[in-house]
Amino acid sequence: MSFEFMQAFKFIQMKTIIHNLDPRTKLLLAIIYSILAIMFEEIFILFFIFLTLFPFIFAGQLFKKWIKSIRGMAFLFLLLIIFNTLFSTFSKSISMIIRIMIMVSSFSLFFLTVHPDDLMLSLISLKVPYNIAFSFSLSFRFVPTIAIEAQNIIDAQKSRGYEMEQGGLISQAKNLIPLLIPLIVCSMKRAFHIAEALDSRAFGSTKNRTYYYSISYTKKDWLITVILIIFFIFGIIVKVFPVLLPDWLFWRFPV
Amino acid sequence: MEKKLENLQILVNHLTYHYPDGTIALKGINLNIYSGEIVGIMGKNGAGKSTLIKTFNGLLKPTTGTVYIENDEVNNVLMSKLTRKVGIVFQNPDLQLFANTVEDEIRFSLKNLNFTKTELENQINLTLEKFKLKKFQNRTPFTLSGGEKKRLAIASIMCRNPEIIVFDEPTIGQDAEGVEFIRNLIKEKHSEGKTIIIVTHDIEFAIDNIPRTILMADGLIIADGPTNKILSQDQILNIGSLISPQLIILSKFLIDSGIKVPDDVYLKENMIQFLGSFFKEKMEISEGGKF
Amino acid sequence: MNLIKFKDFSFKYDQAQDFVLKDIKLNIESGKFILLCGITGSGKTSLVRAMNGLIPQFYHGEIKGDVFVKGKNTKNVPTSTLSRDVGLVFQNPENQLIAMNVEREIAFGPENIGIPWDEMDSRIKECIKITDIEHLRKKAPFEISGGEQQRVAIASILALQPEIIIFDEPTSLLDPKSAIQILNLLKKILLEKKISTIIVIEHRLDIVLPLADEVILIDKGRIIEHGEAHNVINGEKFLNSGVNIPKCVSVFQKLMNQNIFTGKLPISIEETKNLINYIK
Repeated sequence: MSFEFMQAFKFIQMKTIIHNLDPRTKLLLAIIYSILAIMFEEIFILFFIFLTLFPFIFAGQLFKKWIKSIRGMAFLFLLLIIFNTLFSTFSKSISMIIRIMIMVSSFSLFFLTVHPDDLMLSLISLKVPYNIAFSFSLSFRFVPTIAIEAQNIIDAQKSRGYEMEQGGLISQAKNLIPLLIPLIVCSMKRAFHIAEALDSRAFGSTKNRTYYYSISYTKKDWLITVILIIFFIFGIIVKVFPVLLPDWLFWRFPV
Repeated sequence: MEKKLENLQILVNHLTYHYPDGTIALKGINLNIYSGEIVGIMGKNGAGKSTLIKTFNGLLKPTTGTVYIENDEVNNVLMSKLTRKVGIVFQNPDLQLFANTVEDEIRFSLKNLNFTKTELENQINLTLEKFKLKKFQNRTPFTLSGGEKKRLAIASIMCRNPEIIVFDEPTIGQDAEGVEFIRNLIKEKHSEGKTIIIVTHDIEFAIDNIPRTILMADGLIIADGPTNKILSQDQILNIGSLISPQLIILSKFLIDSGIKVPDDVYLKENMIQFLGSFFKEKMEISEGGKF
Repeated sequence: MNLIKFKDFSFKYDQAQDFVLKDIKLNIESGKFILLCGITGSGKTSLVRAMNGLIPQFYHGEIKGDVFVKGKNTKNVPTSTLSRDVGLVFQNPENQLIAMNVEREIAFGPENIGIPWDEMDSRIKECIKITDIEHLRKKAPFEISGGEQQRVAIASILALQPEIIIFDEPTSLLDPKSAIQILNLLKKILLEKKISTIIVIEHRLDIVLPLADEVILIDKGRIIEHGEAHNVINGEKFLNSGVNIPKCVSVFQKLMNQNIFTGKLPISIEETKNLINYIK
């Protein structure tokens, strides 16, 4: 379950309209959709908001990945429905699920279509200091490396007779020590090596750093930004003046 | 040593392996390894060498095909049973060291082997003595030097006394003493009748210490035979991203120059002997003294 | 011209008992391909860390003496500045490649020192050309082979245009053919005068020796030999040092011990062949 879910956030290089948009546009999209999702709890309204994400998902050719992420969360959704229905209403559970789907989908859209280095550039354009933005993108870069190393550690320990699923909860936790300690040690060593390599490549040598790649807003970005802002304003108006909408939009489950 | 069917220890039949992301690492491997052999596996990075050895101890299960370790087929047997027979020493000791003391590292390796308390302590002591780690017994493994860590990693597999020992690149980054240690270890285990498999890039080490070599490329075995033959065929070497050892190049050169040489002149001692008598001959002919 | 000068330099890491470098007196001159060798633990990596200021700035400890890089003292001048003179490529490309594609990787160094875009672009083009990685421009570091990763690492350091580049075991993770390709690339870079001096730390002496102009031999933190390659190879200290002596050298060394051969030991197969031809 967990691996499928992670796939929904892993960047893959493609040439679609969505991929070519400036990362800030996509960040704006994720943020606006998340705010709208939090603002409302009416099922039909939330569902409508959710549906408006689909043009973006299809334009980015991301449907398959998106389905995987939703599948990955299916179990979580079931748990949520059960618990929430017990403590509140079924209606509210469904609302919560749709809310989560909106937020996950919109952020997934962001991470699937934004190159990690462009992510760094967009953070910098938002006046985040270079060091912090760089650390951010460096973490992304090394996630697959650490994952591979974790697998190598498991392989090495299993080869000397280490068995993973043994005994009760507490002993299973203790059982993770032969995996965690080498992982931590290797990660720390790696951090050292990366740091000395960075030093050796003049990292931090001047405050006036130049950039080879840049990100820039195009007409398409402005268009989408304007659409998003209108959408957002519309949402606020509807929230403040619910009388503007027909009654059936406010329907809830009886439970 | 005779290669009889009853001595067959590892039998691989039409083995393929697909990684979850779709890469096909092994595309149909057929292989027989007999008890007591020393076999090298060579080839470019990505040829499938590591994938192949991981099927021997059950780390990876075949996608299609079978792998028999003695009478056990790896698909049908628990990994815990396979790791008793097959010990893989991986390249990087940092991937496995974690315990409070060196002694505890060995103890951890012996954990699931059902030793009695006295047998366990005995085995730990023996292992520490054998690998010259006794003086580090109560030290934490993280304070050991690179070479000492490597010895500890090897010891933590050898203490389990597996019948089949697999080394993954044992001579990388080693100086002469380190290589000598590996050489002696292989000799010793071989004399105990163990089967030894060595994945390596080290052609000089291979030509001296490994009688049989399997060359892999692109998920397939492209050559399997005596090491000296394989390391002297330029076409095969090219595909396998290897070069000939120095003395093989030299022996070919001697042959090309019209000089008759004994078959195994590529071995260092033999080359020394041959060149020695060759030079002496030339000295006598030219009557001019030494060169 | 003198590029790096060690003056009675000694260093002990903070947590260590002993000095890892002792009384180093060393001059690195321009125009040389230098092999630095010694057994494990002899101090090779520490020596090169002292050449770009990582020792003592990144690795703290007790120091005696000084190291000068083109006149700049490595105690005072930050490593990030010294790296414009001395480039250092480490053993494992995995821990050096920080960008998600090759182009950005090569741009990283010049970006850090504030090179204007036009010049950056031309430097990147040139480095890609020299290291022959045009086809890898847009690829990610994990998509390419070990040999290709090393080329990218080399290109990235070249982009800073240092006068010296130091390579710490560049071929340890590579197969023999790729190893030779990388080392030949280094020699080519030197010969085409893109770089003034190259220092290589290696255990695989059989591959590097044929290319070396000079050899530095280090043992227990002291430099015990530094000179022209042939001279060092023929010395007692080298032959007894515990390094991996190439077969062609040790064969002729034995012949020399048997008094059948006198003269210079060959350091490469080519030289060995010439020797045999001569004797024939």
